[in-house]
Amino acid sequence: MITTLVYGFTIGGILYILSIGLSLTFGSMRIVNFAHALVYTTGAYFLVVALRTLGLGFLPAAAVATVAVLPIAAGIERFIIRRLYGESLDYAIIATYAVLLIGVDLIKWVFGATPIPLSDPIGRDVGLFGISFPLYRLMIIALAISIHGGLYLFFKRTIVGKIVVAGLEDKDAVRSLGIDVDRYFAIVFLVGSGLAALGGVLYAPITSVHPYMGFQVLLICFAVVIVGGMGSLHGTFLASFALGMVIAITGRYWGPAAETMVYAVMAVVLIFKPLDV
Amino acid sequence: MPEEIILETRGVTKRFDGFAAVSGVNYRLREGESAGIIGPNGAGKTTFFNLLTGMFPPTEGTVLYRGADITRIPAHGRVGRGIVRTFQLVSVFDSLTVRENLVLALIRAGKEHAVSARFFLEDAWSGNLPDLSAGALGTVGLREKALWKTSELSYGDKRKLEIALALCLRPSVLLLDEPFAGLSDVEIVEVLELIHRVRKDFTLVIIEHKISRIVDLVSRLSVMHEGKLIAEGEPAEVLADPLVRQVYWGRP
Repeated sequence: MITTLVYGFTIGGILYILSIGLSLTFGSMRIVNFAHALVYTTGAYFLVVALRTLGLGFLPAAAVATVAVLPIAAGIERFIIRRLYGESLDYAIIATYAVLLIGVDLIKWVFGATPIPLSDPIGRDVGLFGISFPLYRLMIIALAISIHGGLYLFFKRTIVGKIVVAGLEDKDAVRSLGIDVDRYFAIVFLVGSGLAALGGVLYAPITSVHPYMGFQVLLICFAVVIVGGMGSLHGTFLASFALGMVIAITGRYWGPAAETMVYAVMAVVLIFKPLDV
Repeated sequence: MPEEIILETRGVTKRFDGFAAVSGVNYRLREGESAGIIGPNGAGKTTFFNLLTGMFPPTEGTVLYRGADITRIPAHGRVGRGIVRTFQLVSVFDSLTVRENLVLALIRAGKEHAVSARFFLEDAWSGNLPDLSAGALGTVGLREKALWKTSELSYGDKRKLEIALALCLRPSVLLLDEPFAGLSDVEIVEVLELIHRVRKDFTLVIIEHKISRIVDLVSRLSVMHEGKLIAEGEPAEVLADPLVRQVYWGRP
């Protein structure tokens, strides 16, 4: 059971790192960004390049891969997302989904479609409650919690954070204070994209790297955003770990239903708290 | 004299899906005056404000500020030039404290005091912002509520805070969109008194639905009806206009 819990927390940690950018983009720009999944996949592939082609160790490779994705994310923001402000929700879905499809095909073209397995970068287990766990997974959980703490401080203590909080509440009112709110939303978009890339980097050694890995997590991340409330930091945090646990526990008793259960939870949440967009 | 026109529109039109919310409006605002815009609900007053302040671009026509075309300048850029507004539904930030609301409004002013580059709120606060914001809060009578969560303010206090935010932006033109909407009678008197006190510092445009409230406040009145300007002039003159009487009271 404890193994299942740790597994659930690991998935929760990854889900949080992945979903928070999606949630903030949805909450601030009112854009459902399917290209987020591409950023995640690209992060994983850049990790492979950094590890195998550049021959870096895991930590520098992870850093290089995460940072290398940022210009791509900035390009997506500048040329796609920014043109979608104020357009209808479905426009953004179609446009960003197109980016995702094109990107995935590019990845297939460059790297091929064969899954690339990676080994556990730490390869050590630690004993906890008399059971041993891969240290790597525990570190992912710790990292997710510290990222949440960092984001919380960012929104609580910094001026840029306050501008974003105010913009989530009323974008036009922020503009009327003479603040170019879109610029700050773009910063948030980049931070969220960086985290998505980091999520891809961190999850790559646990599963395997393949062009469709983004599709798999994308819908689960949407479930997290919807259950947690779009734009809500704490909501996304709690929803990530709750749904991570749902996947882990369902998976333990009935493997094939693990992901379906996530959508069942989402459906229940939507019945009691309809989406307000 | 053309040099004293501070804000002007030429043939400004805004269509939403074919419906013309504002239609071919030519409007001139003289520097230092207090002007009112009245009209029934749905006459296009707020849409006209949104065009003046750059919340969205017009479908046709131009907006000029001190003779320069600002039609394509976005809202935040116009605030930098001194065109400041408030909203019909009070727009302050409930999730922030009163003081944090002011910090946001002072980011622009803060640039001159070299504080906006500071990343941390506490640092920004230790600069010149306390003096600036205390001044604005004092003017609207909210000084002792600076540390309150904005969501705990009454609607009237929120309106005063919104006006304080606008004052922090040092407007040369201040546009107030139905500042009395939703206020109690006591609060209306307070906000009216506040506007009277500060209005000499800038050019004022005020949208109001009830004519009686602003007749004493403004020297010129414009009437909008179905997206068009149908009358303009001194308040008494405009109110005597048969067309205006027809629109407002259904009889000449």
